[in-house]
Amino acid sequence: MIRNTCRFLLLGSAIATSSACVTSTVDQMVFNKPTEGLGDSTVVILGRRHASDYDTEPDFVECVGEHIADQDKSIEVIGELEFVNTFYPWFEPRTAPLQVADLERLLQQQPVAEKMAALKTEYMIWIDGSTVQTDSSGTMTCAIGPGGAGCFGFGTWGNDSNYEATIWDFTDQTEVGRISTTASGQSYMPAVVIPIPIIAPVQGTACDGIGDQLLQFLSSTQ
Amino acid sequence: MSGSIVSVPDSDRLLHLLTAALFILLTGCGPAEVVVKGNFPTPLMQKLPITLGVWYSDDFAQHEFFEEAKTKTESSWIVRTGAAQVEMWDTLLDGMFVRVVLMNGKPGPGQMNPSVDAVLIPNVEELQYAIPAQTNIKVYEIWMRYRLQLVTTGGQPIADWSMAAYGKTPTAFLQSDQAAVNLAAVMALRDAGANFATTFSRVPAVDAFLQQRQGTPQGANL
Repeated sequence: MIRNTCRFLLLGSAIATSSACVTSTVDQMVFNKPTEGLGDSTVVILGRRHASDYDTEPDFVECVGEHIADQDKSIEVIGELEFVNTFYPWFEPRTAPLQVADLERLLQQQPVAEKMAALKTEYMIWIDGSTVQTDSSGTMTCAIGPGGAGCFGFGTWGNDSNYEATIWDFTDQTEVGRISTTASGQSYMPAVVIPIPIIAPVQGTACDGIGDQLLQFLSSTQ
Repeated sequence: MSGSIVSVPDSDRLLHLLTAALFILLTGCGPAEVVVKGNFPTPLMQKLPITLGVWYSDDFAQHEFFEEAKTKTESSWIVRTGAAQVEMWDTLLDGMFVRVVLMNGKPGPGQMNPSVDAVLIPNVEELQYAIPAQTNIKVYEIWMRYRLQLVTTGGQPIADWSMAAYGKTPTAFLQSDQAAVNLAAVMALRDAGANFATTFSRVPAVDAFLQQRQGTPQGANL
């Protein structure tokens, strides 16, 4: 009995640790690569939140930032919340600059210009997009009784990620590149007593894809 | 030698237990309550050279909204925003004006108040919200319309205008309903602050007042 239980748990663990497949594509369009390393300058990554039907997830923006900072310790990425709070109210959904030309207007505010100079922000990266659930099907029934609880059934759902990163050069006040990524995958959840989620890491794949391209851009020198 | 001790609760303890159980049962049936709490950053801007008084009415300082459950499966809500409103406006105004003074009473003839250039009276005129009825994603939305009055210490109107604010739960992942409502309210308050900070001096009557103030000594009573 104990051996059967162990086998069942091992099988469950093996399935649980596996993940479903994800298809991903990344497009890059760079106009001006950095001519020299970032040095002690900083990079800030911000999410776009002005659309009425979606918001770029703060978790995704954080994921991209961590991906870059973890891969290249010399790049200092300022956290989104820290940056937005420091520059309140200029980077709220209502007030954030939508075009690179808006930066000039923003920097006319002396306290903003002074703070920007103090932070030595070289690149401002705007991420626009979201991950959505595309479809779901299947049924699952769970029951609880004096003898225990359990579920039986099968569920599946799809996720699509679509993000675009726009890179602004803060010193020259120009747009220097755009990187877009799409990822899609199907997740499954079979349940025989215990539900076993087999999750497609769609958003994580999109994060890695866009993070790798941004890292390549920020680490490159002509 | 072995023995056992059987503990019998005395009548006082039993009464306390019953009272606690009854309290839990009763509170379980009552409306869900959210006291809005958040951190509101100081605005980064050139301070306006006026001494501003501020008067919060009781309705404003204790502002709350109540949503009655429409079906048996829904729960009623009480969302108390008053304390957070006052905290946000205090922080905002301190960062926008060289000096901010809290008034003793509503400006009017015969009311003893400190000497200031003008008094701001904010009021929440209307509040609407959207609850996640269609999906299980805990994204709440809150709209507020403020009525803002700028008056002299004698209660004479200088400017009277409306201002909108909007906020929605930025991330629904792993949030309780209460936390999701709180986040939406905090975002709406941040938006109110951003809207006020960036449009205050563009309100025609306020602009005229500020133009008039240039050339008169600061702190003079109107």
